Amino acid sequence: MTDTKKHIINKLLVRVLVLLAVLAVLDIIYYFTLYKKDLDENTTLMEISQRANKGIDIVYLGESSNFSYAETDTDRRFICMMIEDSLPGHRVGNLSKGACHAGIYYDILRNIPKNSDVKTAIVTVNMRSFTSEWIYSNLETPLRKEQIMLKKAPALYKRMLLAFKAYPIWTEKERSTLIRRGFKRQTFVLPHPFPYRNANEWDHGVGYNCILYNGVQPSMDSIALACHHIKHFACTLDDKNPRIKDFDKIVKLCKKRGWQPVFNILAENVDQIDSLCGPDLLYLLEQNVKYVTDRYESQGVIVVNNLRAVRDADFFDRDFPTEHYRQTGRQAVAKNVSETLKKRLY
Amino acid sequence: MPPKFNPIKMLFNSIEFLIFFPIVTLLFYLMPHKWRWLMLLAASCFFYMWFIPKYILILLITILIDYSAGILIEKWKDDIPRKKSCLVISIVSTCLVLFIFKYLNFCSANLVALAQHFGWSHPQKILDIALPIGLSFHTFQSLSYVIEVYRGNQKAERHFGYYALYVMFYPQLVTGPIERPQNLLRQLHEQKELQYDNIANGLRLILFGLFLKMVVADNLGAYVDKIYENPFAYSSGDILLGMLFYSFQIYGDFFGYSTIALGCALTMGFTLMDNFKTPYLSGSIQEFWRRWHISLSTWFRDYLYIPLGGNRVTIPRWALNTLIVFTVCGIWHGANWTFMIWGFTYGVLLILERGLRNIHLFDKIEGKTGRTIINICNVAKTFVIVTLLWSVFRATSFGNLHDLFTALFHNGAMNNQLQVAPIAWIALTLFIITDILIRKSRFDVWCGQQKTLVRWCIYTFLLFAIIALSSVEQIPFIYFQF
Repeated sequence: MTDTKKHIINKLLVRVLVLLAVLAVLDIIYYFTLYKKDLDENTTLMEISQRANKGIDIVYLGESSNFSYAETDTDRRFICMMIEDSLPGHRVGNLSKGACHAGIYYDILRNIPKNSDVKTAIVTVNMRSFTSEWIYSNLETPLRKEQIMLKKAPALYKRMLLAFKAYPIWTEKERSTLIRRGFKRQTFVLPHPFPYRNANEWDHGVGYNCILYNGVQPSMDSIALACHHIKHFACTLDDKNPRIKDFDKIVKLCKKRGWQPVFNILAENVDQIDSLCGPDLLYLLEQNVKYVTDRYESQGVIVVNNLRAVRDADFFDRDFPTEHYRQTGRQAVAKNVSETLKKRLY
Repeated sequence: MPPKFNPIKMLFNSIEFLIFFPIVTLLFYLMPHKWRWLMLLAASCFFYMWFIPKYILILLITILIDYSAGILIEKWKDDIPRKKSCLVISIVSTCLVLFIFKYLNFCSANLVALAQHFGWSHPQKILDIALPIGLSFHTFQSLSYVIEVYRGNQKAERHFGYYALYVMFYPQLVTGPIERPQNLLRQLHEQKELQYDNIANGLRLILFGLFLKMVVADNLGAYVDKIYENPFAYSSGDILLGMLFYSFQIYGDFFGYSTIALGCALTMGFTLMDNFKTPYLSGSIQEFWRRWHISLSTWFRDYLYIPLGGNRVTIPRWALNTLIVFTVCGIWHGANWTFMIWGFTYGVLLILERGLRNIHLFDKIEGKTGRTIINICNVAKTFVIVTLLWSVFRATSFGNLHDLFTALFHNGAMNNQLQVAPIAWIALTLFIITDILIRKSRFDVWCGQQKTLVRWCIYTFLLFAIIALSSVEQIPFIYFQF
């Protein structure tokens, strides 16, 4: 290397060092000036974590299933409130946010203050959250954006990640391609010969032929609903599923923080699934619930299986598979959770 | 299996690019000269394929056609008919790719509309394909090579790798500047030595470009989008503000991108052509087009306007030439009637400007102050015209444009709804001040002339602004769609 090159490299190295020092100072300035504002504007998750304040010994992490929707409900309490009411002497903190999934729950749990009194973490397991339909949903981008500010990193670095858009941004077309490709990878296994190998094929089969599993030719609305169910449940879970990996991380975190994890498998509209998609989809759903139960019970997690706890009439939404329950549905889920906790924990 | 396209696009303002750029620059200097072309070509392919990998094949086809055409044109330099047919085949096939991807659906939709108008049935065939990133840019760059070889101004490139690199050189691959072979191809062959000034100036340009895009353009863009999405919800004042913001958004956005491109190339010792020279300080439309998107306007000048006859024709013919060039320039921007009208209007304005040139209304005004006032008035007049025309450019359709102007003239009594954050005003003010400061020299040169402490204060401010004051919304580079 020539002397000139050495000189240039030395000169550049000195400037890189000065730049690093400048960045360190800027980080401090940013932390004390704009960080709080950015945190408030760009993530709600930190505020949710902070709800686990002193005195709260149980945290309930859920999505929209926790809330009340029906105007006719006389009991508008959330599931977490019902659980609290049936566990005297315990305080349940509501750490719920609509459209959340295990990846977000992990971040919320991770940011619970170290000095909190939490002993038990009830985490909802939404069986719809495992397929590509949810993994690549358009709600994912804002959630991933929110996660950035929760990272364990210098404030300025996190703001830089936000500024340089270090989260996935999909166009509608890209998103739909990703979902389709995801379906093709998420194959499923049934104990008998079946014409479809994955949700993509099944969805196409039902959607194009407009005939249900039992040969019935129903209305277009029913076909659309059947396809929605297929896209949300037709898969066989394994440890490669990103949501399973998130739940694994939650279990590890709970162990590390000394909390008892409780997985609350949410009720799905099995009556509707049965009538529209037949026993095959139900079989897959049951198998996936079994997979989750076996996998996490063996790791010391208390798993509450609510899959069949709510009947068709107690589901609020009629044209899309959701976990929005009427009051009797919420009461049933809450009762199962609290009774399991009483039996196995308190 | 990873997705076939990356959800996180490798834009200049992405975290991926912050990793990609230093690695490529470092590798460039670590490699011996004879392998640098290969490394840069591989890096450029990687950069391009980060968007939609299979589209590299389209680029490869264009490269192959024009590479072969260049060699054949040179081979048959004395056989004019063959040489000419070779040029025509190359131009037609290169433009055909552009036509299929960019204009076919537009033409098809208009044919259907026309058929419906006359009561004929015409099935509309829509190709469900995304426009390859930067297709218009590298098509024009490829064409400039073939034309220059045809004219005998450039020797045909025999090394396929170097030619491919000329078309694909990553800093200017997706939105230019549209380079000429005499400038870029020559430099690609040169052995570049590590020079401190190149690194420093290149990094200064990148920093400034990021500031323009992320702090100025993106912070203003959020308001512009709101106004254009629903003009009726805003007062006349808001709409005027939105139009003003768009003028600076598109300038900051494109100037920012070009500046980063120039900076990336300069860190490796390559000098790309300047694309902007303070266009909003122009005193006339003609001057504006000498200072705005220079690489495109000079492309049209060299390869369309002059071949059509340029100035050396009768006035009616010149007027026709001007209209043709600017209408084509409008269509180049996008397959939409709004772009065509935008370009055509510029043509009309230039004709009017030339017509009015001989009317010397202000000749009697003398003295420095008087001249300064006239200059300021001219700059203001040009800026108002350009801003009005940007609204045609920005509108998604004529309906959208109609809504915008209807709301502008009818919502005068409405209270202002647009809550503009202080950062948007600060960014805009700083942009205008900087633009005035750098009117005589480029930012890197101007910055280099400052004292060390001032220079570092500028770096610190730009760095802080880019990281902490930039918009958190995803607003793509406007010229990416072209």
